[in-house]
Amino acid sequence: MKAEALTPEERSEVALNHIEIKNISKVYDNGVHALRNVSFNIQKGEFLGVIGLSGSGKSTLLRCLNRLIEPTSGKVLFNNQDITHISHREMREVRKKIGMIFQHFNLIKRKSVLTNVISGKLGHMPTLWSLLERFSEADRKEAIEHLATVGLAEKANIRADELSGGQQQRVAIARSLMQNPEILLADEPVASLDPATSHSVMRYLEFANKKLGKTIVCNLHFLSLVRQYTTRVVALKGGEVVFEGSSKEIDKEWFRRIYGEEATEVEVH
Amino acid sequence: MSMHAVKDGAVQMSDHENRVARELSKAQRKIFALNSILVFYLGFLVYYLDLYLNDTKTPTAWILWTMAGASLVAGFIFTFYEGSIGQLIIYRVNRFLKQNVRINEKTRAAKFSKILGGVLIFLTFWLGWLMTGVDIPSLVSADGLQGAQRIFMALLQPNLEIVGVVCSEMIETIFIGFMATALSIPIAFVASFFCAKNLVAGSPLGESFYVVLRFIFNFTRSVEPLIWAIVFSVWVGIGPFAGMLALMLHSIASLVKLYSEQIESIERGPIEAIEATGAGRIQTVWYAVVPQIVLPYLAFTIFRWDINIRMATIIGLVGGGGVGTLLMQYQGLARWSEVGTIVIIIAIVVWAMDWISAKLREAIY
Repeated sequence: MKAEALTPEERSEVALNHIEIKNISKVYDNGVHALRNVSFNIQKGEFLGVIGLSGSGKSTLLRCLNRLIEPTSGKVLFNNQDITHISHREMREVRKKIGMIFQHFNLIKRKSVLTNVISGKLGHMPTLWSLLERFSEADRKEAIEHLATVGLAEKANIRADELSGGQQQRVAIARSLMQNPEILLADEPVASLDPATSHSVMRYLEFANKKLGKTIVCNLHFLSLVRQYTTRVVALKGGEVVFEGSSKEIDKEWFRRIYGEEATEVEVH
Repeated sequence: MSMHAVKDGAVQMSDHENRVARELSKAQRKIFALNSILVFYLGFLVYYLDLYLNDTKTPTAWILWTMAGASLVAGFIFTFYEGSIGQLIIYRVNRFLKQNVRINEKTRAAKFSKILGGVLIFLTFWLGWLMTGVDIPSLVSADGLQGAQRIFMALLQPNLEIVGVVCSEMIETIFIGFMATALSIPIAFVASFFCAKNLVAGSPLGESFYVVLRFIFNFTRSVEPLIWAIVFSVWVGIGPFAGMLALMLHSIASLVKLYSEQIESIERGPIEAIEATGAGRIQTVWYAVVPQIVLPYLAFTIFRWDINIRMATIIGLVGGGGVGTLLMQYQGLARWSEVGTIVIIIAIVVWAMDWISAKLREAIY
């Protein structure tokens, strides 16, 4: 390929793309085609919502971004670096910059809240030292600060499974902030929470986006949450991108196309 | 959109049909094999019944070989009938076929198959009765009952003079069980991580460890500790060390199985979460796997310790040291009062251990 100097516009476009997804497909061993040729870009500092029915490939897509799942073909560029064809060791370096929170929080239940938050920094610690669970004073202080950010500083020494669902999700957010990530991936972060708690968790994500400048990619079920919090939306159906644009553009017609003829919208207030 | 759905549907249909065809052709081979084996088994039963009824136990090789050949032919022909016994069994056992294929069970072959099944079960039981020499009269004969009375009376009159010796041997037995358990824990702990499918998946080195270790431990476990004790008593000499080694080997294999099954059933979520932070493999195991398994591990280990103490008495019978060896000596001298003393003490200790281990495991959960 002939090398060509980029024009200033192209250069700024490249700089704005935090993640580029290029023709990603994923076929699982059992033959399920989870993603079919998915391509789109995620820009620096945006709050991107990913919507679609259960089984449309949202979770798979998110896990392809930090390679918890290996895509079958296609590639993902993170800060212009192809991360689909790098070694496990190099991937760990990339993962340090990508935080992730999950539907079921995935905290270590039997450990304290503080240990859970500090575990976000495991990638930065020497292996043997981290196994002794002797964390530095600086790490502890930082963890307490992140807990304060999500309003749970006084819960630091409680066992993680003694917290409510919403509180556990906030601890999970604190854990991912401990990584000091550039990007936060959120896989249905409020799907197992009640509506009131959902908004509290979403507001902390919004805070991370607006105040801390993190790029956020968030799988969501409820369109009302999508409209309220996200700046842009990608919709998946059967593993393909069927919509990409502003969340305001999703009207009744688009809703039916994404969720099927039978669907009616349910709102979270 | 609708066109897309139709195309998808068509792809799925043909996928499904392909799968059915594949499973059917695979099943056909199994049906043939099963039919042949069962026909051969029928011949074997009839032949052996004839042998045992005539009080000879040595079969003639060429008769068996001829039967095997004939069974292959008969099994092959039988496979062409709908409702052959092999088909009835395979189509019930294979979950996929059970849900996707219907067979006619009203055919003459099916009726014949069901009768054949009944006949096979009946003949098996009859032959078993003859082989084990079931002999009710000797169980209730006057002579036999007198012998039983002699033993039970002696057992009920324990010789209390040897209590001290028995107790010190019993303590040795308890320590054999304890050491076997304690030494097996660290080895089983480390090995279990390599024997858990969900942990080794994706790493070629890990998967080869998995295959090799699984094979070794399955083999070790399938050999009874009693037989290991015989092996070690030749290797290191009769005594407590041989018994301890035998129990340890078996404990390692059993604990690895229990431990690794526990690892395979843990929640995947925390592993994903820790991996996503950029943590290494060892860190991931320590932070996401270990906290989920410590309690079940402890419970399994206590249970194993309990089993080992019971086993240690048995191991002693073949020269593994401890109270079992003492029991064997008195039994050889037909000194039933002493045997009775030992049996009573063993019973008390085993009952106490059982109780302690149950309480400990309760306390953990």
